[in-house]
Amino acid sequence: MSEAVHAPIVEMKDIEKHFGPVIALNGVSFDVRPGECHCLLGDNGAGKSTFIKTMSGGHKPTKGKILFEGREMSFDSPRDAMTAGIATVYQDLAMIPLMSVTRNFWMGREPVKKVGPFRFMDFAKANEVTMTEMRKMGINLRSPDQAVGTLSGGERQTVAIARAVYFGAKVLILDEPTSALGVRQTANVLSTIDKVRKSGIAVVFITHNVRHALAVGDRFTVLNRGKTLGTAQRGQITPEELQDLMAGGQEMVALESSLGGTV
Amino acid sequence: MSDTGSSAAVDERIKQTSKLREAFIRPELGAIVGVIAVFLFFIIFAGDSGMFAPQGVLNWSTVSAQFVIIAVGACMLMIAGEFDLSVGSMIGFSGMSIAIMSVTLGWPVWLAILLTFALCMAIGALTGTIVVRTGLPSFIVSLAFLFILRGFTIFLPQTIERRTIIGGISSAAEGDWLAPLFGGKIGEGFFRWLAEMDIIATYSRGARAGEPMVNGIPMLIVWALVLVIVAHIVLTRTKFGNWVFASGGDAQAARYVGVPVNRVKIQMFMLTAFCATLFATCQVMEFGSAGADRGLLKEFEAIIAVVIGGALLTGGFGSVIGAALGAIIFGVVQQGLFFAGVESSLFRVFLGVILLFAVILNTYIRRIITGER
Amino acid sequence: MKAPFKTLAASALAATTMLGAAPAVADDLRYVLVSHADDADAWWNTIQNGLALAGEQMGVSTEYRNPPTGDLADMARIIEQVTASAPDGLITTLADFDVLSGPIMDAVDSGIDVIIINSGTPEQAREVGALMYVGQPEYDAGFAAGQRAAGDGITTFLCVNHYIAQPASSERCQGFADGLGVELGNQMIDSGTDPSEVQNRVMAYLNANPETEAVLALGPTSADPTIRALDQMGLAGDIYFGTFDLGGDIVPAIADGIIQWGIDQQPFLQAYLPVIVLANRHRFGVLPGNNINSGPGFVTADDLDLVADLAGEFR
Repeated sequence: MSEAVHAPIVEMKDIEKHFGPVIALNGVSFDVRPGECHCLLGDNGAGKSTFIKTMSGGHKPTKGKILFEGREMSFDSPRDAMTAGIATVYQDLAMIPLMSVTRNFWMGREPVKKVGPFRFMDFAKANEVTMTEMRKMGINLRSPDQAVGTLSGGERQTVAIARAVYFGAKVLILDEPTSALGVRQTANVLSTIDKVRKSGIAVVFITHNVRHALAVGDRFTVLNRGKTLGTAQRGQITPEELQDLMAGGQEMVALESSLGGTV
Repeated sequence: MSDTGSSAAVDERIKQTSKLREAFIRPELGAIVGVIAVFLFFIIFAGDSGMFAPQGVLNWSTVSAQFVIIAVGACMLMIAGEFDLSVGSMIGFSGMSIAIMSVTLGWPVWLAILLTFALCMAIGALTGTIVVRTGLPSFIVSLAFLFILRGFTIFLPQTIERRTIIGGISSAAEGDWLAPLFGGKIGEGFFRWLAEMDIIATYSRGARAGEPMVNGIPMLIVWALVLVIVAHIVLTRTKFGNWVFASGGDAQAARYVGVPVNRVKIQMFMLTAFCATLFATCQVMEFGSAGADRGLLKEFEAIIAVVIGGALLTGGFGSVIGAALGAIIFGVVQQGLFFAGVESSLFRVFLGVILLFAVILNTYIRRIITGER
Repeated sequence: MKAPFKTLAASALAATTMLGAAPAVADDLRYVLVSHADDADAWWNTIQNGLALAGEQMGVSTEYRNPPTGDLADMARIIEQVTASAPDGLITTLADFDVLSGPIMDAVDSGIDVIIINSGTPEQAREVGALMYVGQPEYDAGFAAGQRAAGDGITTFLCVNHYIAQPASSERCQGFADGLGVELGNQMIDSGTDPSEVQNRVMAYLNANPETEAVLALGPTSADPTIRALDQMGLAGDIYFGTFDLGGDIVPAIADGIIQWGIDQQPFLQAYLPVIVLANRHRFGVLPGNNINSGPGFVTADDLDLVADLAGEFR
């Protein structure tokens, strides 16, 4: 991984986030570099959603620093984070099933052309770009007017990712993109992630599926009970080890020592 | 990864959708078929009853145009994901507002009209603001305004004039520059010419003997046409239109990508208020009086027209053209059943049936679009 | 000698045919009655029955039309529509001159004979070019009732107005006040049409104004709940109670002495007579020379028997 030599584009240092008496994040350190896919693994309730929201500007950390391109940043809203280049594709995708792919793709950033004093949406351009971008991701749409509702789950993920990429995301946070998909569609989405990474975008891939993570990840960080339990490089860790880490660090240590005793 | 292979497979599957199904998912389709069916029906059963004589045509087109005006507002608002049940009360209220300002207070009619538009759209904005700020269903909020506005519409004239109908607007509007834009007619010369050519019927007696019975196209119809065209273009061809669809399709998803959902919704509430006021202004200028009972139940008629026109009650999908066609079906059937000699109370039966049919069809359309089974 | 006798017999035969159930007449006359009442207003049932009966007896076809919600602007459209369908005669109320005069004049000018019934005034009927007016002038009826109440020693009253949106309703109350010779002031309440609401508002008013001597209801819609309100307050029979119209519980209440009198404007006649007048005009060219006053008539406990049988149907 030659890209991995780059300095991190986003660096989170010792992030804590408290909600009243509840400590959701308790010392999270995490970074991601351009062109790498950094997987964040964790079981349900490990603090993944809080983590995403903190990174994408939805929550302000109670303690700790976030560096973006080397400078300390404080995002007031997801909109700020988006403007800076941090795009999040949530599980629910932010796609509107009844609207066409083009309308979804350009939602909020519609291209405009002027005809006399009137400003119309430039559908010729919008349709063309949508088709091209989707083709780049390996999906050939029947028509850009096709409703998103007719697409499969994997294809919808791809539209959401393509949209984020087209609008200049430097960092792409994917929230459980494969959790609700079948095998084949998962493969499609993973290959999309691979394409995005290769184009030099930093990808944060959140999942609880070890096999999906290992398929595309360059580095792996496990989150458990609001803490990061260290980061491993690709090739340095086996699926079993990752699985155990997710299940809980304590058991892992206990397991390791008992194994060490016998081997 | 079997990337290329699987996407090709998906392609094949998408291409299987037939042209017929594709045509079905146009929101207007049902309404187009409905319009054709309705006209065929009445041409067969009421062809010689005067329904298609100039006077009859004018009658059902005027009634349909009334429905069209309020349906356009209701349609845009429904696509944006909200309801306005206060449309009917707003019609009564705005008419009364014009009457009180121009007759009781003696202000110029143009000023009364402009102030009323401003006032009513402000009330629309207030309804919208309450809906988006509190997150309450617009059904409840606008229901509250249904009562509030109707209450004022009865209370104000009664307190001020001790009557619930204020007349005399016609004489107040004489010579006014703005009033003819709402209450006037166009093409009068053309119709006089038609009468001279003996193409259309003339009055047989009275002071107007010899004049054509249909002497122009009411501005109401012109407004309805203009409103439909403008709203259709805005909805389908502009950035703002995309925001309207997005706000109703999934407000949260729209917010994620920076669509000002609240602003869009409030503006749509202002549009329905505008349409209601337009309806009332045309009515008041034509009939010369405002009454506390005007516009009763019109909100439902608007919503029914919109639903017949193919919009989804849940928002995010619909068409202004469809709503206009729905309004035409509504108007033509309401008037046509009389011409066909059907007992008028049966109109409601028909309305119920057509509404049920439209809603079921819409649900089917929605399933096709979203791919639910 | 023989020939004239024959003619006479023939015309007598023709007349019998017409007066009987006889739809056998050669002409196909069609009359439409347009009212301003909403669908829920039961009082108009009498009108519909009168219309149907007259149509049957005269052998003409009749139709009843009304705006479903009582919206007068809708009613104007209905009149326009009836005009477009070119009936032989139009029988309509004139509930709001501003709104309805235009469409009615259009009908008159396109050759349709119009008779105004029920609402409006004889003067307005003449102004729109109608043949005649059949009805009970609202203000005059209220005034007559007020004079009658004044004769019975009344000085304060409550007017229960259930259809305040119509100006005719306020005129009844105003006429009553003027007949009594007192200010109307706030003695008229907007009761709404919901029975329990009407009842509650009447009770609230009477509790707040215990000095009230009389109650005037404007029809069964307000009279029926008012009877219940008075029952509940123990005032039934004690308070002076008059009402417009008969129907609903009004007749039994007159029999029980709860209601002193009901003003009968005899709606049956308002639908029946115009059809008779129009049919005879169209067949024989005859027309009565004056307006016809169908009311007011005061129905008291003395003349109840016949009324009781037919209330809500023809009375």
